[in-house]
Amino acid sequence: MNNGTDVRSNGSHAAGNGESGAVSAGSTPDPRGAGMRRILDRETRSSRAGVAGIAAVLVIILCGYGLLEAGVRAIGQPPWLIDPQTAAERIIALPQGIPPLLLGAIGAVTAMAGLFFFLNAVLPGRRARHLLPDRRAGVVADDEVIASALARRARLAANVTQEQVMVVVSQRQVVVNVRPTSGVPVSENAVLAAVLDELRDMAPEPMPEVRVNVATSGVIGA
Amino acid sequence: MNNTPRTLNRILIGILGLKLLAVGLLLVALATVPAAASWWQQWSAGVWNGMSQLLQRTSIPGRQESWLWAVLALLLAVLIALMVAWVAQQGKGRSSLILAEDDAEGLPGNVRIGGGVAEQALRAALAERQDLAGATVATYEVRGEPALKIRLQPRQGVAPHLLAADVSALVEALDAVVGKRVPVLIHIGTGARSRFSRAERVR
Repeated sequence: MNNGTDVRSNGSHAAGNGESGAVSAGSTPDPRGAGMRRILDRETRSSRAGVAGIAAVLVIILCGYGLLEAGVRAIGQPPWLIDPQTAAERIIALPQGIPPLLLGAIGAVTAMAGLFFFLNAVLPGRRARHLLPDRRAGVVADDEVIASALARRARLAANVTQEQVMVVVSQRQVVVNVRPTSGVPVSENAVLAAVLDELRDMAPEPMPEVRVNVATSGVIGA
Repeated sequence: MNNTPRTLNRILIGILGLKLLAVGLLLVALATVPAAASWWQQWSAGVWNGMSQLLQRTSIPGRQESWLWAVLALLLAVLIALMVAWVAQQGKGRSSLILAEDDAEGLPGNVRIGGGVAEQALRAALAERQDLAGATVATYEVRGEPALKIRLQPRQGVAPHLLAADVSALVEALDAVVGKRVPVLIHIGTGARSRFSRAERVR
């Protein structure tokens, strides 16, 4: 691949570009002040509202059952499912009274659920979005939108149909996969130049690096 | 954009996750390690002894039930109410006014412009665009200040920066009408309508 240096120089250029963007956003408080910065920070990270809902429902179900049994016990009625005394005795005797495989499986499932919630809370929760520069408004674009715009540009540069181009956009990388039409060569450099040009116009933050893969086997009859 | 309590979400989800993780690991240890099982039986029997003694000491006069059960029921009810309140906090922050100011010092009264003005104007301006599969405009309150969120769903292949430039020109026109620069967020995203619609081939 002779465009390795090309990509790397683009990467360093991207880093400088991102910094200058941040500086200009800070030095011009008029269009995009601190409030806008906060909005954009919040837009690029997950709010965890869905997970919070799941967690709350889980706690509500557990508490609801506990409330029922405690209430029944408090007014001296017979228990609904299990008497607290019996439950406690069974829990104390735990490795006995239940097949170890079942116990281990229950434990593993509970631990996995716990890990899911814990990681959701601890990880940064970045969304698949990029910021775009704008004079007036804060602009957030989903990576899918950026990918489809780049795919269109790559398709025009490679002169292939829509199905022959697949673009994957992640936080720091753009991968363009092109399957050429059989017998019609596709210039990797032309596709790379077109995609880089589009990205330069778009100037997403953070600026991703571009990699172009041209498949060795072509598509027949496209 | 909305006022979802994000830090609270992270803290509460993290607490729940750690507890579930601890319980699950304990169960796995009980199932696999014999030493853990004997330790558990001793330790938990001691804890349960203490609790049952406490329950006997706190029994309601004249009856054998402990009043601690009623307290426990009350605590659980409070916890449930807190959970409901927590869920109700998610996604809050919509507001109805885009502007509320007293700009004429001497005169009584103030000016209020509803968010519907911005929403209707922008939606009408965006409705004619062929490259959009959908657009919604909503007013939010960010730190007590009104802000606009414009959500655009372009068709496949539309360059997001050009779309953003066009829409921000519309926003600047709106600024001139309203007379105040409101923070604006343009979110260019995908939805089912833009994903399954035909790519725009000519532009």
